Amino acid sequence: MVPLSNYLVLSAIIFSLGAYGVLARRNAVLILFGVELMLNAVSLNFVAFAAYLDPDKITGAIFAVFVIIVAAAEVALALAIIIRLFRNRATANVDEVATLKW
Amino acid sequence: MATEVLWWIFAVLIVAASAGVVFSRSVIHSAIFFIGSLAGVGAMYAFLNVEFLALVQFLIYAGAVTVLILLALMLTRSGTTGLPERTDGPQKPFAIVVGATLMGILIAVAVHTSWPGNLSDKPRGIAIDAISNRLFLDYGAPFIIASALLLVALVGAIILARQEEGE
Repeated sequence: MVPLSNYLVLSAIIFSLGAYGVLARRNAVLILFGVELMLNAVSLNFVAFAAYLDPDKITGAIFAVFVIIVAAAEVALALAIIIRLFRNRATANVDEVATLKW
Repeated sequence: MATEVLWWIFAVLIVAASAGVVFSRSVIHSAIFFIGSLAGVGAMYAFLNVEFLALVQFLIYAGAVTVLILLALMLTRSGTTGLPERTDGPQKPFAIVVGATLMGILIAVAVHTSWPGNLSDKPRGIAIDAISNRLFLDYGAPFIIASALLLVALVGAIILARQEEGE
């Protein structure tokens, strides 16, 4: 069977790719993709730990449910802000909206 | 044995799709790779025998969230020339250094740590009724707070994205 460390390494790779995406991208939607990848890696880690180490209390699986809830709320708000930004500034490039007020 | 082969196929697919999300030059291609990556993580939940989370991952992430993001992409497409816009900033080399370092550290920690507790060599599945018992009995208050959070976030999103009068 697949050992726990395989899941952890896979999750580490996804998390690092997400972190790279957050740091390197300029388009706000692409930065959001990076954040979502990182959140997914974290939930995968939680669920793997719950299934291998903690099958009675399954705290990790509950955590993953809450991570998904918060991620859904976050996506809705972030996209509303991005749409608003695009309407005001006609761009989704975060380098051009660094002033925070206009 | 067959499970292991399938696991490795899905792991390679997930890594490839995630790399596609962050390295692709086109926003739409990134979105398509993103769907693949999320669906792959859902398959990982299925490998862990956590059917409920696999279903939630497919329905909410690979379904709803992706549709929302595609809608926002459609609304915020700048320029109609069809030329791929520059999607990476000048900080890209530093991002590569940070990402590679982070990956090295995380993999080293994941491989070399000996986890406490009775570590089984195969995943013991988590049934739906176990999750519901924990979620509704022991974590009832956080669950209600989370639903309030979702409601507030959705109302806030509508207010933010609304077209105001005289604008």
